[in-house]
This record gives sequence, C-alpha cells and structure tokens, in this order.
Amino acid sequence: MKDPVNLNRAYAIAFKEVRHIWRDPFTLGLALGLPLLMVLFFGLAMDFNVHDIHLTSYDSDHSRSSRQLLETFESSGYFLLRQEPLIGNITEPLDANQAKAVLVIPPHFGRYVVSRMDSPVQVLIDGTDNSTAGVIGGYMEGIQSAANSRLANVSVSPVVTLKPRYLFNPELNSRWFTVPGLAAVVLAIISILLTAMTVAREWENGSMELLLSTPVHPVEIILGKLAPYVVLGLSAQALIYFLARFYFGIPFMGSHVLFILGTFLFVAAYMALGLLVSVTTRQQILAMQFSMMIGMLPNILLSGFIFPIENMPAFFQYLTMLFPARWFVLVIRGCFLRGSDLAQLAVPLLAMLFMATLFVTVAVRRFKKDVEP
Amino acid sequence: MKMNTTVMGFFKKELVQTLRDPRMRIMLFVMPIIQMTLFGIAISTETRNIKLAAVYKPNDFLMRRIVERCYSSQWFIPAKIGDMNDAFRMVQSGKADVVLIAPEKGLTRAVGRGGADVQLLIDSSNITKAEAVESYTQAILTQVLGEAFPEKNQNPPVRFVVRYLYNPEMVTSVFMVPSVLCMILLMVTLILSSSSMAREKESGTLETLLSSPATTTEILLGKSLPYVALGMAEFPLVIAVAVYGFGVPMRGSFWVLLFCALIFMCNAVALGILLSTFVKNLQQSAMAGFLFIFPAIQLSGVLYPVENMPWLLKYCAYLDPIMYFVNLLRNIMLKGGNLQVVVVNAGALVVMAFFAIGIASRRFHQTLN
Amino acid sequence: MNKNDKEQNTSVWVKNLTVKFGSFTAVDHISFHVNSGEIFGFLGANGAGKTTTIRVLCGLLEPTSGEVRVAGLDPKKGLEAVKARVGYMSQKFTLYPDMTVDENLEFAAALHKIPSEVHKRRRAEGLEIIAFKAKTRQLVSELSGGTKQEVALVAALLHDPEILFLDEPTAGVSPVSRSRFWSIIRGLSHRGKTVFVTTHYMDEAENCGRIALMRDGRIVALDNPANLKKDTFPEPLYELTPRPGVKSDWLKNLRKDKAVLSVKPYGMRYHAIVSNARRWRELSRRMAGDFKARPIQPSLEDVFIRVVEGAK
Repeated sequence: MKDPVNLNRAYAIAFKEVRHIWRDPFTLGLALGLPLLMVLFFGLAMDFNVHDIHLTSYDSDHSRSSRQLLETFESSGYFLLRQEPLIGNITEPLDANQAKAVLVIPPHFGRYVVSRMDSPVQVLIDGTDNSTAGVIGGYMEGIQSAANSRLANVSVSPVVTLKPRYLFNPELNSRWFTVPGLAAVVLAIISILLTAMTVAREWENGSMELLLSTPVHPVEIILGKLAPYVVLGLSAQALIYFLARFYFGIPFMGSHVLFILGTFLFVAAYMALGLLVSVTTRQQILAMQFSMMIGMLPNILLSGFIFPIENMPAFFQYLTMLFPARWFVLVIRGCFLRGSDLAQLAVPLLAMLFMATLFVTVAVRRFKKDVEP
Repeated sequence: MKMNTTVMGFFKKELVQTLRDPRMRIMLFVMPIIQMTLFGIAISTETRNIKLAAVYKPNDFLMRRIVERCYSSQWFIPAKIGDMNDAFRMVQSGKADVVLIAPEKGLTRAVGRGGADVQLLIDSSNITKAEAVESYTQAILTQVLGEAFPEKNQNPPVRFVVRYLYNPEMVTSVFMVPSVLCMILLMVTLILSSSSMAREKESGTLETLLSSPATTTEILLGKSLPYVALGMAEFPLVIAVAVYGFGVPMRGSFWVLLFCALIFMCNAVALGILLSTFVKNLQQSAMAGFLFIFPAIQLSGVLYPVENMPWLLKYCAYLDPIMYFVNLLRNIMLKGGNLQVVVVNAGALVVMAFFAIGIASRRFHQTLN
Repeated sequence: MNKNDKEQNTSVWVKNLTVKFGSFTAVDHISFHVNSGEIFGFLGANGAGKTTTIRVLCGLLEPTSGEVRVAGLDPKKGLEAVKARVGYMSQKFTLYPDMTVDENLEFAAALHKIPSEVHKRRRAEGLEIIAFKAKTRQLVSELSGGTKQEVALVAALLHDPEILFLDEPTAGVSPVSRSRFWSIIRGLSHRGKTVFVTTHYMDEAENCGRIALMRDGRIVALDNPANLKKDTFPEPLYELTPRPGVKSDWLKNLRKDKAVLSVKPYGMRYHAIVSNARRWRELSRRMAGDFKARPIQPSLEDVFIRVVEGAK
C-alpha cells in the first residue's frame, strides 16, 4: 500500500525533470523559441483580405463602356487584370490555374448600357479555392455599384444606409484575429507533444518502471513531471504576449490575471492529455503519432481558430466542447480584443479546469492500473 | 529486373515492425478516415447561426420587418440577451454577434423624411464573420426596402452574373476534404519514415546496418520504399471516403491521380528521411516533424491565400508539398485535369524529392565520424 | 617481403593506429596483430579505447592515422570487401526486439545477400551451435538475456565471416549464460574463426589466447594470460584472511615491514605482494595471530590492477 501523497517527493521529481530539460537545449529552445517563431511567421502570413487576384477578361465589345468597366475593376485595387482574345474555351485560365476569376463582356454591352437597358456581364469564379472564392464574390457587389455609377452615372442612393461600427477590431486587421488564436494552437501542440514524448521515452527505457517501484505515489509523479513543463508553457506564452503586444500592436483590453489563469489551465490540460497519451501507448513512436493526430489538425480546424464554431452542425458544436483549445481561443480573444470579465469567461475557464482535472485523474488511474498486478 | 535482396529484406522488416502493433494499424488506416469524416462534416466556411439583436421601439414597423426577415433567413438567429439594453454590452458579452440600432425617432419615420441610418455594432474579432455579417445584413435590407418602396427601384444597367465554377453550390467539403486528406497523408508518411530512421539511430541497430555490406543507396531505399507502399495503401481508402462519402466529384483520370499520389508519397518519405538525418533520437525527430508539418499546413494556401503572404513566406510556400498536392487534387478531381498544371505541380514534387534524397544521402555517413 | 608474409598469416594487423575526436585522443598509436583462429581479448576500463578500436577494424570509423589490415584487406581500399569477411556484435543490442528470431535472422541474411538455400543451412547450423531451445517464432524481446546474445551471435555468423568482432558480448548476462557463451566462442575458434573480444570481466579473459590491456588509448600489456601473470608478478603473491577480533592497526603494522611491497583489499580478504620470501615467512609466523596467509596465483584482475597502476 502506498503512502499518502507527499509533496516533497513531487518536488524532487520536478527538480530532476528541470535538470533534464536544462541539459537538453534542443528541447528547451524548441519549447520556448518555437511558439514564438511560429506566431511571428504565421501572424505575418495570415491575411484574409485578398488582393492581387488574377483576373482574365474577354472583351468582345471594345467600347468605351467596356473599357470603363475594366478600369473599374482595376482601380478597386484587388485585381490584376489580363486581357485575352476570345478564342477557345473561356474557362481555360481557370482550368489551368492561371486566374482565379474570369470576366466575359458580351458584344453589345456598350450599346445596352448607353440605352439604360439590362446589360449583363458574366463573372466566373474558381470555386475550388475556398480561401479566395467567397471573398472575390463578396467584392462583386461593391464593384458593380462602382461600375454603375461610373458608366451610367447611376448612383444607387439607398433609402437606408447601414452604418457599421466594427467593435474590438475597428480596422479589420487580420492579425488581431489570427495571432491570439494561433498562440492557442501552437501552445496546444507543443504542450501535448512535449509531455507525451518525454514520458513515453521513460516508459520505453524502463526508468518509469523504476520510479513506480519506489513508494512514490503516481500523483506525485504526475505533478512532478508536469510542473516544469507547465512553467515552460507559461514562459512561452509570456514571450508570445510580448510579441503580440509590441510587434503586432494588438491591444489588450481584459484582465491579465484571467489571461494567466486561462493559460495555466489550458497548458495544464494539454500536458495532462499528453501524459495520458504516453501512459496509454508506452512507446515513443505511437505517442508521437497519437499526439500529432489529436493535437494538430483538430486544433487548427475545429477550435474556432479560423473556421467559426457557429458554422458547424449542432453535433459538432457540442463535440468541440471536448477540446480545451476551443475554450482557450475564447479566453484569449476575450482578453485581448473584447475586454471580457470574469463573468463572461467563467464558462471557458471552468471547462478547462474540468478537463485538466479529468485528464490528470484518468492518467493517475492508468498509472496505477499497471503497477498493481 | 533483378530484385535487390537487401532492399527486399528491408521492405519486409519495416512492414513487419510497423504493422505488427494493432494500435499502429488503427492509426494508419482507421484514424485518417475518422479524421477526414470529422473535418469534412464539421468545417463550413458558410457563416450562419449569427446571433443578432436589435434595439428599436415597438412601433417601428419597418425596423421590425427588417429584423424578422433577418431571423427567417438562413443566416441569423435571435440573440439571447435577456433584459440587457446596452448594445455594447450585448456584443462584448458574446451574447450577440451583431446589434442593429434604429435611429432615435424610429426608422419608419426617418425614411419618410428621406435618408436614414441604421447603426450596426459588429463583433469583429473574427474578420471573415464580420464582413459576412455586413454583407448579409445589407442584402436583407435591400430586399426589404425593395418590397416596401417599389417605386424607388432603379434598375442599374450593369449587372454581374456571378457563377462559381466546379463547385457551384460552394459546398465546403468539396474543397476541404481533399485538403485535409493531403495533410493527413503527409503527416502519417513523413512521421513514419523519419521515426523509423531515428529509432535505428537511438537503439544502436544503425551500427549493425553500417557494419554490413549494405550500401547507402540500399539502406535509404530500404527505409523509404516500404513507407511509400504504406502511403499508397492508404490513398485509395481516403479517396473512397472523399468521393463516396462526401460526393467530391472525380472529373479527371483516376490513374493520373494515382500517379500523382505516388509522387507525393515519395516526396513525403524523402523529406522524412532527410529530417531524420538531422536528429539523434525519436524525441528530436518528433519535434523536427512538427517543425515541418505545422508550417506546411499553414502555408499550403488551404486556410488562407498564398498570394497575400509576405514574399519570404511565399517562397517558403513553394517548398510546401501540401500546396502542390492540393493543387493537383483540386485540378484533377474538380477541374478534370489540365496538362500544364499537372506537369508543373507534379514536377515540382519530383524535383523536391530528388533534392531531399540527394542531401540525405550526402549527410548519411557510412562511417560514424 | 617480410612484412607481407607476416600480414598474410594474420587476421588482423594494426600498426600505429591513432584515432582522434577533435582534441581528444581515443586511441594512441597502438600496434598489434591477431593470428588466424586465435581468441584475442581486449581488456580495459570504459573509455580506454576498446570500442573505438573495434569500430575501426569493422570499418565503422576512419582512423586519424596508422595502418590497418583486416583479413588481409585494407579498409581504405574498399570497405565492402572487409565487411563481407567480418562479423560484428556491438555493445548495444544488435537485434530488433519487436521482430521474431526468424525475422531477425532473415533480415541479417538479406543484408549480406545470402541466397535462401545457404541461409537455411547456416541458420540451422547456427541454432544448433547455440543449442537453441526456444521457438524461432518468438519475439526477441521475450527471450532471456543470454539467449538474446546467442541469437545475435548466430545472426553475426550467417555470412560465414572469417573474423568475429564481439564488443562486450556478455555484458549484463547471467554467469551460467556467460560460460555457455564462451564455450561457443571456443568452438568457433576450433573451427578456424578468429574471435576478437572486448570485455571488462577479467575472469572471462582467461579464455583468451592472448590479451591486450588498454589504458587511456594505449596498450600497456600484450601477452598470453600465463605470461602476463608471470611477468607482472615476479614476486610471490599471498592471500591474507584476517582473523576475527584482530586489532584494527594490524594492516598498518604489516605495511611497515620491508618484506611487504603492497597489500590491497580483495573482497573480504587481502592480497599481499611480497619482496622476500624468507622474511615473509618469518613475518607471517610472527603475525599468525592476526591473519592467515596462503600463497596464490595472481588472477588477471590482479594483473590488470597492477599494470594499470604501474602505468600511471
């Protein structure tokens, strides 16, 4: 029968783990530097406002109106135009991935415009690329109005105008949106990978068995092993915070206390999950595959980082509640952009707390299961 | 063609070691299908379930029409704001994504006087959502106004007829499923090949290999071909899920697609081996794998457009096998396959694979010093 | 030419071999040769340079300077030819624990491109030599430590090498298995195979035809066990058993006497090197109440300790 939990022993295990980490500069550098690098690079890469779109135009009219139409497209600043003679297949530029949209101006376009008759123009958009298709479609309305006012002097003066106020991100800066979410995703992956691999290695080379053969309680092992990595995770987040604030200029409207609390719970949850993976697989290669599978794609695609959760079918909206990343994205966006207070973040924080506790409990039970015969 | 005994021996060994553990078999053949299904169903780029609230006086009939039309559309749902009356709080608390605010004296009256504004408070922490909200609201507004004031209808001459080719309904799974397929295949094959080499290093069995007469070529081929084979075994499964499960069209030649898949697998495995020459043990190979795969996913052009990236990252995107293979998948499956596109993208993958193996074999020393 | 004749009769010929890793010299100008069919032992502490030397001889490391001939071939002129004649068991375990005995042996055969008929025959022979009792369809990880090493030996023999290089082959194996392993090695030597062994178990080294002692990258002694013992211990050696209740300063008193060259602890007893037999007999009679003495033959461990200390 094992002794009750002794925190001193947990501390000793933690200390040994710290030594380990310190001696392996590769892992240390990775755990700290990597999140930073990732957020920097991809924060820079992500820009949802599409521009420099290749547009091929077929002008069968060659009138003043058609030229003005083409100018309207050009002056929008979104498109790079290229005129082609109308021979062969009009969808050829799209088939050959040379353009993302095709504009077809019919022969009598100019005449119809001048007579104020209905003058349709075909716009074919490449529907295979989700990151650009919808956005291009969205631009069409605005360009159509501009074209009408330019060509036919028709200004559609609306009866009612919408005056939008963009809250929390007035300039619709992509980075403000993506960087906090990216931080969550990167931290999640690193956390789960770190603990899964490190502990799996100990299972594989037998040192875990050795540890378990002593009076040490599994809870002490878990606390001892997780603690240094949680600190590492928090440090990484601190670095990301500075990057977000001072390089990307993202405002921080909320409470730092909640932010730290949220980060702590989040990192703890993923590390506990990594631990669970390592206890279950006991082998490094499997642990690796498993962690990548759980930690990478689901977090990128289902955490609300890019694709909003509200878009998902109801079943999946409930399913994503099982991912700590989904809750953390709420917390981190709430803290940075919305200035959310405790009442508003209570649910996400509690969810993460629940999950961290759940994973640790299950991990402890699985540890014990293999010690007791 | 004479079969090289050593390479065949490796083939057998790698397959035996990999497939022996049932958990690994599940990881290789079941998990990708589950993941694809999950993501294919869950992800949608079409914004809906937008929580809308409105602040207006009960007798403001025009405003009420607009709000009701919003709710009955496919995009908006009523926000559960209880008895909150601070519009800002509504959005800030997350209970509403957008709040419509009628003018002081009511919209119906304001219109009568000519010129009226409706304020829109939009939660813009998600940009695509914010822009969608604005355009949907505008569309509904135009619709309602058009019905309420038919005489004010001016038909502007220039009219765009917009059609989305290859995927007219803009079904998200049609573009997401091939992309996810590609990511999963890369992850699995790259990690398999790199960790197999890393494990030989870590356990010391690499020394045994080096002390045998096996040449570098034989060892590298022996460590890569089995994983290309495994990847190719997975490919039909995931394609079947895409085509029969999700209805992704298959407009081009399946054989061309298969051939491109083969090239992609070779590429992924070559990269895995290259990565393994930089690491000493399995843990490092996991980190290295992550270091490559995460950027590969980000820069693939699937989540957000490559055209927008700063030039440095754009160049990195040109080294991204996911980008090329997604191009191939989309072009062949959705557009029927354009010769130039296929040659360029497949060619890029081939060139990359050659470079990777070349560098790997140079780094692979037959001696330990 | 004289040198060529000598090389032809030897399995392994090393002259002035030096291996440096950066500024660290692992092997420092060593020279020796091993004859065909000999069991040659390489002794020394960890880090003395044994494993490095073996790696050079197997073609796994390039020497910094010096000449090497293995099975009459120069590794610099072609590693493949050398590797075909040489069998190697490294310190780390050489088999794959997640494969069966059959699969491991098949793979080893594939590495050496052994045709399947030949493989079947040699495999059966090998398993017989080690008197393999378990099932060949078993995973290697399920075998006992000693059996694992024996199977690894069979794998190293499949291509019928002339020379076997075994690096600490009995490390971590039970004493019964160790002696079994050595009887197998002796059998191999009788069949004409050269066996080059490194070990840090001194008692095993008695099995060797000749032994080289390495320290800090240099060979400090090289001869057959009997000569080594004679040369290292020209003086008589006695084993002392202290009697119960002996006074605690008995050792100090003993060491003060000029007849005694050195007294070293040896387990519960002591080994004393004596300078003068007659004076020693008087001394031990005088101190008979403190300890019991009997003459012994030096063991290789004694040899090693003395040589290594002498080389300091």
